[in-house]
Amino acid sequence: MVFSESDERIALRSAVFELGRKYGHEYMRRQVRSGGKTNELWDEAGKLGYLGVNVPEEFGGGGGGIGDLAAVCEELSAAGCGLLLMVVSPAICSTIIARYGTGEQKRQWLPGFAQGTTRMAFGITEPDAGSNAHKITTTARRDGDGWLLSGRKVFISGVDEADAVMIVGRIRDEHSREGRLKPALFIVPTNAEGFTYQEIEMDIASPDKQFLLFLDDVSLPADALVGSEDAALLQLFAGLNPERIMAASFAIGTGRYALDKAVEYAKTRTVWKEPIGAHQGIAHPLADAKISLELAKVMTQKAAALYDAGDDMGAGEAANMAKYAAAEASIKAVDVAVQTHGGNGLASEYGLGSLIAASRISRIAPVSREMILNFVAQNSLGLPKSY
Amino acid sequence: MPNIVVLVKQVPDTYSERKLAESDHTLDRDSADAVLDEINERAVEEALLLKEAQGGEVTVVSVGPDRATDAIRKALSMGADKAVHVSDEALRGSDVLQTAKVLAAAVGKVEGYDLVIAGNEASDGQAGAVPAILAELLGVPQLTHARKVELDGTTLKVERESEEGITRLEASLPAVVSVGEKINEPRYPSFKGIMAAKKKPVETLTVADLGIDAGEVGLGNAWTSVLEAAPKPPRTAGQRVTDEGDGGSKVAEYLVAQKLI
Repeated sequence: MVFSESDERIALRSAVFELGRKYGHEYMRRQVRSGGKTNELWDEAGKLGYLGVNVPEEFGGGGGGIGDLAAVCEELSAAGCGLLLMVVSPAICSTIIARYGTGEQKRQWLPGFAQGTTRMAFGITEPDAGSNAHKITTTARRDGDGWLLSGRKVFISGVDEADAVMIVGRIRDEHSREGRLKPALFIVPTNAEGFTYQEIEMDIASPDKQFLLFLDDVSLPADALVGSEDAALLQLFAGLNPERIMAASFAIGTGRYALDKAVEYAKTRTVWKEPIGAHQGIAHPLADAKISLELAKVMTQKAAALYDAGDDMGAGEAANMAKYAAAEASIKAVDVAVQTHGGNGLASEYGLGSLIAASRISRIAPVSREMILNFVAQNSLGLPKSY
Repeated sequence: MPNIVVLVKQVPDTYSERKLAESDHTLDRDSADAVLDEINERAVEEALLLKEAQGGEVTVVSVGPDRATDAIRKALSMGADKAVHVSDEALRGSDVLQTAKVLAAAVGKVEGYDLVIAGNEASDGQAGAVPAILAELLGVPQLTHARKVELDGTTLKVERESEEGITRLEASLPAVVSVGEKINEPRYPSFKGIMAAKKKPVETLTVADLGIDAGEVGLGNAWTSVLEAAPKPPRTAGQRVTDEGDGGSKVAEYLVAQKLI
């Protein structure tokens, strides 16, 4: 068993962190205030191949895995400028298309994912279904050769910045006599007729916004359906494990950023004789936060390694646990960092206050803490189901 | 097509706390993260720009302990083609004269070099003398402190920036150029560059391989050594001016007293 990353992964981390340091949290703050996006950083990272590390080489990508993409995500976050859309566009959408897309879909989309020039949002959550994927009501009807897709989605990130949205919907199961529905994934261009979206005002300072989507008989060609009709569940598993791994990495990065700030402050801020970091009341919570972040990181690396080795089932359990641990570690690190700073922890100048809400997202999305505990209770422990 | 050699050095990250060892005042390499010196990134960038415009090959040459491999890999991941790494315990604590001598021998291992590009000064030692000494040892022209480099055939034109002004220099290849902060903005290594770096050849040499006697190098034989070192005194608290309608003139008075205006 190897517990150190490859030289290339380490070099990738340091290159990405350096790029991130050029932008930093100040860039994100500026963009949020001016209503700007993260295009400069996104485009530069894309050109360097950082956003396409996991795209197969034959489509111009880096030929690496989710572990590489997760490293990119974590390092940008740790530099104070995490790119939220990395969790969806290259991690979920690009992975699903690379693994299950048709030849034509791969040729159409993967080169853009490789360079970061294509952005695709991902729409699964619905207002009335929440975390219950079985209650998804967005449905596609056959219309000649193509499809008519209708439904609603909520909390979909970055739709205004995306070329298309990968929508999780349902179609009629031709094998079922009762006319049952089965899941299906569709690629919907954001400029399609009948497709509208509305920003959800959030108390989170992020350049990337959240949206409500309305699909009203959106007419789609036959090839808007991702891959084959019967593969949607496999496609979802292929995409959702990377999503959890990326969400974990994003959270760990945020935690590292906050902890670095706190450690720096604790080393330099002197009120009595010694810097405040010499006091155990300050030092121990920081050490505790460090331990939690490292534990979460190891689990995230394990999940990525299992996923990249092709063990989707093993990766599922590890990815869920990693997401859970990373969220808790990240929230704790931000909390401790704010406390270490005293009043400065909430002063805009120090950039930590806004992280309180931002770090809290990872306990809720992409899957809530409670749903992960359900998953572990049932799948890992074999406890009976409550729903 | 120029055959370019770039000198690179691994230094403690300027973001971390840098220290000298208490025992002999040599660099405490364990106290800080080690990185490729930023000025060397600019040197590599300039070599790559020349290569991209005119073809040729870029060889990285570094003198440093085993872990300097990381700095070399970084240069390779930016796009340099191959590397020569001189690593020898005997070199520990070498001064600029000894280092330049070793570098000259190492550059000599690169067959038919046309141009040596170096940073004008390392961020750790800050002697700023190695490029000039190296040029003397190699017997080639030195065009130091460049903020612009142009290569036309075998004619090299350089703009040197100093406190006195801009000097335009010209020389025939082979030559040594040292670059300053303003020369360019170094690229970040791409993911493909990082993946390719591992496969690029790095030749590791000892001083003996270069035909240099170990007794000529290292701290014990250095012409200069650090006798004493003390950390910079901490910055004192600033002077606070409360604005009671005369804040502007008080600030101006302060600046005048400091001879800043």
